[in-house]
Amino acid sequence: MDLIGVLRRVVARRPPVLLVAMPGATRERLAVEAELTRRGWPSAASPAAAAGLVVAGLPGGERPRWLEGLWHGMPRPKAHVAVDHAGDASHALGVLSGLLATGREGEAPWAVSTGSPREARGAGRQDRGGGQGAHRRQETGGRDERGGRGERGGREGHGSTNGRDGRSEWGGRGSHSGHHGRDGRDGLDSAHGRDGHGGHGEAGGQGGHREGVTAGLPMAGRADDRDGLRLDRLHLPLGPALADWPAGLVLDVALQGDVLQSAEEHPGEAAPAGRYPYWSEPWLRAAGGEAVTRGAAERRRCASHLDSVGRFLAVSGWPRPAARARGLRDRLLHGAAAGDVAPEVLRLTRGVARSRTLRWLTRGLGELPAGRAGELGVTGPALTAGGDVHARLCVWLREIECSVHRMDDARAVADAGGPRGRLDGGLPPSRALLDALLPLLPGAEFACARLVLASFDPDPDEFAGAGHA
Amino acid sequence: MARVSVWLPVLVLLGLTVAAVAGLYGLSALLTQRAAVCAPMPFAGGLTPREHAFSRFHVRWYPVTMIFLAFDMEMLFMYPWVRVVRQMGPPAVIEMFLFLGILFAAVAYAWREGALRWT
Amino acid sequence: MPEAAPLWAALVLPAALCLGAVAAAGFDAVVGGGAGRSGSGVLGTASAPLREGLRLLAQQRRTTPSADVALGRVGLGLVPVAAVLAAAVVPWGFVSVTDPAVGIVWFNAMEVLAWAAVWLAGWGPNSVLSLIGGYRFLAQGLAYELPHMFALTTAGLGAESLRVSDVVGAQQGLWFAVWMPAAFAVYLLSAAAMSYWGPFGYPLGGDAAGGAVAEYSGVDRLLLLGGRWLLLVATAAFSVPLFLGGGQGPLLPGWAWTLLKTAAVLAVLIAARRMLPVLRADRYMEFAWMVLVPLTLLQALFVAVVVLNR
Repeated sequence: MDLIGVLRRVVARRPPVLLVAMPGATRERLAVEAELTRRGWPSAASPAAAAGLVVAGLPGGERPRWLEGLWHGMPRPKAHVAVDHAGDASHALGVLSGLLATGREGEAPWAVSTGSPREARGAGRQDRGGGQGAHRRQETGGRDERGGRGERGGREGHGSTNGRDGRSEWGGRGSHSGHHGRDGRDGLDSAHGRDGHGGHGEAGGQGGHREGVTAGLPMAGRADDRDGLRLDRLHLPLGPALADWPAGLVLDVALQGDVLQSAEEHPGEAAPAGRYPYWSEPWLRAAGGEAVTRGAAERRRCASHLDSVGRFLAVSGWPRPAARARGLRDRLLHGAAAGDVAPEVLRLTRGVARSRTLRWLTRGLGELPAGRAGELGVTGPALTAGGDVHARLCVWLREIECSVHRMDDARAVADAGGPRGRLDGGLPPSRALLDALLPLLPGAEFACARLVLASFDPDPDEFAGAGHA
Repeated sequence: MARVSVWLPVLVLLGLTVAAVAGLYGLSALLTQRAAVCAPMPFAGGLTPREHAFSRFHVRWYPVTMIFLAFDMEMLFMYPWVRVVRQMGPPAVIEMFLFLGILFAAVAYAWREGALRWT
Repeated sequence: MPEAAPLWAALVLPAALCLGAVAAAGFDAVVGGGAGRSGSGVLGTASAPLREGLRLLAQQRRTTPSADVALGRVGLGLVPVAAVLAAAVVPWGFVSVTDPAVGIVWFNAMEVLAWAAVWLAGWGPNSVLSLIGGYRFLAQGLAYELPHMFALTTAGLGAESLRVSDVVGAQQGLWFAVWMPAAFAVYLLSAAAMSYWGPFGYPLGGDAAGGAVAEYSGVDRLLLLGGRWLLLVATAAFSVPLFLGGGQGPLLPGWAWTLLKTAAVLAVLIAARRMLPVLRADRYMEFAWMVLVPLTLLQALFVAVVVLNR
């Protein structure tokens, strides 16, 4: 009896999926999310939980290296697919299921076709990232040239650990012979791991603390905390593959325990130009002279806020209404009639707004007074709310209720007030939101910081500057 | 003898559970055909972390832990107390709740000082 | 009234606990609205947790660089061990695997092991997010444990004994849940909290990519996620002898009443879970210390006065 085969088919029926959205791929993300819901596949929050990796991204094979890191992190059996067009979502998930059932894992590495320009660009990015790019050598279709690793390890701080993974997953199993211990697993804990890597860490741009380096990574350094105590401090790039996280956003944070000490935007991939950001598309099209009805714009606003609310509720650990918000969002985007959706939308918004527990849990977090918001160039819901996380949530809920009744308005769009703010200002609204929220993060606990971020829900698709109408 | 008969089943249970956990690991090794363990960098949201995560945690755990320990140790007295309340009569109850009241006054003071404030 | 169970009952208990966990998880999946989707019936949905368990068994395991494998593994193994050992003193009807004179204290001691277990499991992988998850459980424990202990003591006080069978015996006629409602409610809260489940899933929060479980796959993950259901079933089952009269009831035999009451408690917990978002420890901490502790103290005082006057 083929027990393994049976188990494989069990997995293939409903694999937990880690969905990673590339910048600019909101449309594809929504399509995949809707399809996952339709099939009843659970979503995974980390590679360890996932059996399938679905990348919602733009066509052209331009996928960053950290994706390969995620792929290494997934336990077998696993499979991956990429969804380059929203229409492919259903097909792609079918393919994923098929791959899992047969035990194949998917087409070989994403970044198959690459020339040297990309290599150079990638290198620049990695240096800023402090060495997440040890997968670079896999660029050339998984056949890594190990010869170059010597000098590269010096720059990348902990190339060794990644090199190990890369080999076992991509470079063919058991091919690790003949390389210095540092590259291999044994090298991790060996004595020369220490002196061999001590210097590399220095070059890795950590700055400040060099107390000990083990297995190619330094230990936590120390710094004063908000109360003036000297405590351990960790640096962490948060994002871009966290669940319920703005696509493509990376925040460089310093953590003391689970309290954020500082948070800065990490220069990440930008959404490709030449495509309107999905959520502000109607207003931008109208500004570009196209005929867009107000009803269509309000529908998009309503869906956008439902998306944000769904994400916020998911971050706050309330899966049921989060799923309802997302279900309603999908129905709106598939053109459901206002009359059909409105009662359910109202039930959801009222239920969430009435929840005392949610209010108690979110009150006082991420306070942004209207005056300060105005100074920072924030427009839209965050300015209207002029308060804490819960106030911003309530503004979304109110705007959803208003929008859902205006979806049949056939007049042309006259203003530029998109779901995240005015699109005719100098600054894309999401850029203003990010600028406003980053100063609110230091001092917040990890969970609170996630709530604050989710309550602004900046859309990195807008960062590219397409906001200039 | 009585002691043995009370705790013997517990020992049996302990052995059984440990064996079951070991069995699960064995079964898993069989089912995965002893595939090599997947050994990635820790997940921190996609990009690779730059430091080891092992670190001393934030200080606010310690005051709460101290308060907890103080209260917890004292409340262990309540277990034996439970059995003698009626024999000892009202003084047992009065003393115990005076004691708990004092403890709670200390907690209330710590709360006012912000020891239970988490962020 | 206490009867010593034959030793083979110790063999049946873990199996019964696992069955209960699978049933509870299946019920949870059905209530969660998974049924009827993409052609799978109620049965298909109810068996989803079982399939998930099988999937995890056949899944590759992971280790991260410089992980503290020993501590992590001890933590993972402790979860089911704590659940099973705590369940040892739960009487099925009027028979329990063991009935020591300090049964309540034993239960308390065993479920506190879960506290260590989740923290160790979170510490193990040398990953920031799982470490955050582990510490979250410490914080949660600091909040729920004290009211929980007062609730346990109150039940013992009502019976003037720490022997579980005595507690059951003291509830002939009137269940403790009726005249100790606050203690019962607090007990239910902490039952969910110590199985880091539902609104108390903070240590495994999705915002931290799964927290303590973020780095575990395969059988490791199965122990941590399956163990929480074992813990939940064990604590729900223990609420029956403590507050709901144990196996007492008309017509049916004692074990059937225990089963029914346990199922009812689980159903209430599973249904209530969907009404609340995750309670973060930073808010629950203050609530537990400033509301639940005085509440349970007053409850204990009330019970002590009643006991004095009977």
